[in-house]
Amino acid sequence: MLKYVNTDVVFQEIPDEVTLAINISGCPCRCPGCHSPYLWTNIGLPLDTGAIDYLVIKEGGNITCIAFMGGDGDPKAVNMLAQYIHEEYPQLKVAWYTGRIRVPAIINRQDFDYIKVGPYIRHLGPLKSPTTNQRLYRRNDDGTFDDITYRFWRRT
Amino acid sequence: MEIKNFTITKRDGSKDQFSLDKIMNAIVKAFESVDQPAELATISRVLTHLDIKDDITVEDIQNQVEEALMKEGFYKVAKSFMLYRQQHTEDRETLEKMMFLSEYMESVNAATGSKYDANANVEHKNIATLIGELPKSNFIRLNRRLLTERIKKMYGKQLADEYIDKLTHHFIYKNDETSLANYCASITMYPWLIGGTTSIGGNSTAPTNLKSFCGGFVNMVFMVSSMLSGACATPEFLMYMNYFIGKEYGLDYWKHPEQQADLSLKKRTLDKVITDYFEQIVYTLNQPTGARNYQAVFWNIAYYDRYYFESIFGDFYFPDGSKPDWDGLSWLQKRFMKWFNHERTKTMLTFPVETMALLTDADGNCKDPEWGEFTAEMYAEGHSFFTYMSNNADSLSSCCRLRNEITDNGFSYTLGAGGVSTGSKSVLTINLNRCIQYAVNHQQDYLEYLGTVIDLCHKVQMAYNENLKELQAHGMLPLFDAGYINIGRQYLTIGINGLVEAAEFMGLKITPNDDYLHFVQGILGLIEKYNKQYRSKDVMFNCEMIPAENVGVKHAKWDREDGYFVPRDCYNSYFYVVEDDSLSIIDKFKLHGAPYIEHLTGGSALHMNLDEHLSKQQYLQLLKVAAKEGCNYFTFNIPNTICNECGTIDKRYLKECPHCHSKNVDYMTRIIGYLKRVSNFSQPRQEEAARRFYAHGGTSKVTR
Repeated sequence: MLKYVNTDVVFQEIPDEVTLAINISGCPCRCPGCHSPYLWTNIGLPLDTGAIDYLVIKEGGNITCIAFMGGDGDPKAVNMLAQYIHEEYPQLKVAWYTGRIRVPAIINRQDFDYIKVGPYIRHLGPLKSPTTNQRLYRRNDDGTFDDITYRFWRRT
Repeated sequence: MEIKNFTITKRDGSKDQFSLDKIMNAIVKAFESVDQPAELATISRVLTHLDIKDDITVEDIQNQVEEALMKEGFYKVAKSFMLYRQQHTEDRETLEKMMFLSEYMESVNAATGSKYDANANVEHKNIATLIGELPKSNFIRLNRRLLTERIKKMYGKQLADEYIDKLTHHFIYKNDETSLANYCASITMYPWLIGGTTSIGGNSTAPTNLKSFCGGFVNMVFMVSSMLSGACATPEFLMYMNYFIGKEYGLDYWKHPEQQADLSLKKRTLDKVITDYFEQIVYTLNQPTGARNYQAVFWNIAYYDRYYFESIFGDFYFPDGSKPDWDGLSWLQKRFMKWFNHERTKTMLTFPVETMALLTDADGNCKDPEWGEFTAEMYAEGHSFFTYMSNNADSLSSCCRLRNEITDNGFSYTLGAGGVSTGSKSVLTINLNRCIQYAVNHQQDYLEYLGTVIDLCHKVQMAYNENLKELQAHGMLPLFDAGYINIGRQYLTIGINGLVEAAEFMGLKITPNDDYLHFVQGILGLIEKYNKQYRSKDVMFNCEMIPAENVGVKHAKWDREDGYFVPRDCYNSYFYVVEDDSLSIIDKFKLHGAPYIEHLTGGSALHMNLDEHLSKQQYLQLLKVAAKEGCNYFTFNIPNTICNECGTIDKRYLKECPHCHSKNVDYMTRIIGYLKRVSNFSQPRQEEAARRFYAHGGTSKVTR
């Protein structure tokens, strides 16, 4: 069962979108230097379709995208929720910030509009750093993905 | 009179040993000054009338001496004694001014040095600003006297006393008490277009070409501003400029701006000719102005989308019978914004304060997508301006904070577009935090108590209005007589301050929740009830959450001194707590959304503080959010960085100069309506700016 600790409306994580970021706990990645180690433990409220409905009713009209921040402990559950959002709320895009080096094979990438992959590696830096190992991909209409990580570098 | 070891209270509040000798000396001198013999027996007789108590004040003793002299029949001596006292009072006042003068010279900046009316619009501290400061205390006394005399005539002495009592105990605050002029106005330039400035005391005739328009416009704005205490808005500026460019270069001039338009060796293009005029006007109007104590004029302009423009100017005709050309104006508006945004990377330019007026459809989308997109584009390019969004063309802003409802969009051949003539005559502010705490502490229903304060404010404003009418009757207000401003379309404004703090005192959470909303609506609804009750065919009232550049600081200080609950050093000018980082950007739009601002008829602009610019798509979405939540008046505020070493200006919020890498940087921000260097704000306001939370617009995942 996925759990989430809190949410925030963010602008930097996904370029051009007004994003509701859901901070998911129980993260197994445990990157050294992680900015939010409080997400390593299994705390918070259950994140299921009911929780999604609640969040969308609260902020739905104002946002353009929902981002799952984490959830690597149960990627299938994240995929299921992504599918649910696309079916129930087709106007919203879905993004996933995974800390894994590659997207797990059991995941259907087509259920996501944006996927960020890669753990945080201190000496390579975060997404804003041009030397970062992390990558943000955006799905095109034809189902292919473009690397849009450069969007984070433009303004630095 | 029995002589005991009394203490007396001196004028500065300190205590001293009572000395009979000093009183006797003063009396002897008074006798000698009128050549009357001062015999000991006579003096003793006078002294027997005195009733000296412990801690008696010097003033009180002198009053008693005066009376005693008269009781004994020494009228000439008494008169001389009074004159002597008066002379000393004057000396003391001069001494106070001299003290103020030296303190002002020592202060860090002009806003901190100002004793009465701190203002960040004064950038420098010099002899001109000092000259402006010195008479302020006299103006305050004069304004109070004028107002109380009128209140006495209209409502009786008791109400006049009540006004002074509420004022001196800081339940209410009279804005701009240091000036004699009415507050701010959005003017129609039609009378100027027909007759030049002669009707308001100038010597220039009507503008006839682009050059005389641009030159005359600057002079006209200076003249108008010198007769207002606040801002001057010219919502027709670009429309008129477009008219004159069209007359000179053809209505389709905007289709070929790259063409040469100048026979000089410089071979300027038409675009260069136009932007050179922008430069002339904008730089001139940003100069410190002699007639306004070295402040620049508070110049405001408006932009419109096609539909807003048609609503306001649809029936407009120029004196030659032609109608404004939207296509040219649309181009010129965009050109001005782009030019101004770029110019601001070269120089710190505060004025004009710009408001974009957009109409929305029933779904909250911009009716004119071209202008919705352009608005988002300009925000994304880092330009700082206000946006007013509405589903009908109901308002114009007359200054950087106040919007005024338009009551009549009709056109007249003498006054031009009716809608543009609006503004506020005077602002009287209620310190909600003190009023509500006072009522609760005295077991009174706070709304009932507030009702009495609000009623008082309306009566005071009615009295102010009568004084203004008298000034007008004596020909003192040519802006009204010449038709630049219509007195009947100007509001009397009830300001509010300390709303959030009062809600916190009541134990409410400052988030979008029903209890807080109920509290806000209860108070603002009550003010609106009185606004409607006092409205007549000559008087209109509106209600504004004042930006409180210095009042917010003063109220917090006074309330704290008097033992009230004061959660911060400067009262908020928003419906949310400015330093609260748990509210999302969307929460802030909600807290300035329709249910909260419904009764705030004079407006309150949401200043959305962000630490980084967003993209055009994101701003477009936020325009939708604003429309959906009913937040009709807002701006995005990202501090610009200005390097103190090399002068580089960057639109981003940086810790270090991108050019010379100096860390000695200052920021330009809108703490209140206008964009200014943070170091020009008064000390407490600078502290607020430092505490203020600039929403990161992100979790730490991107930047860490």
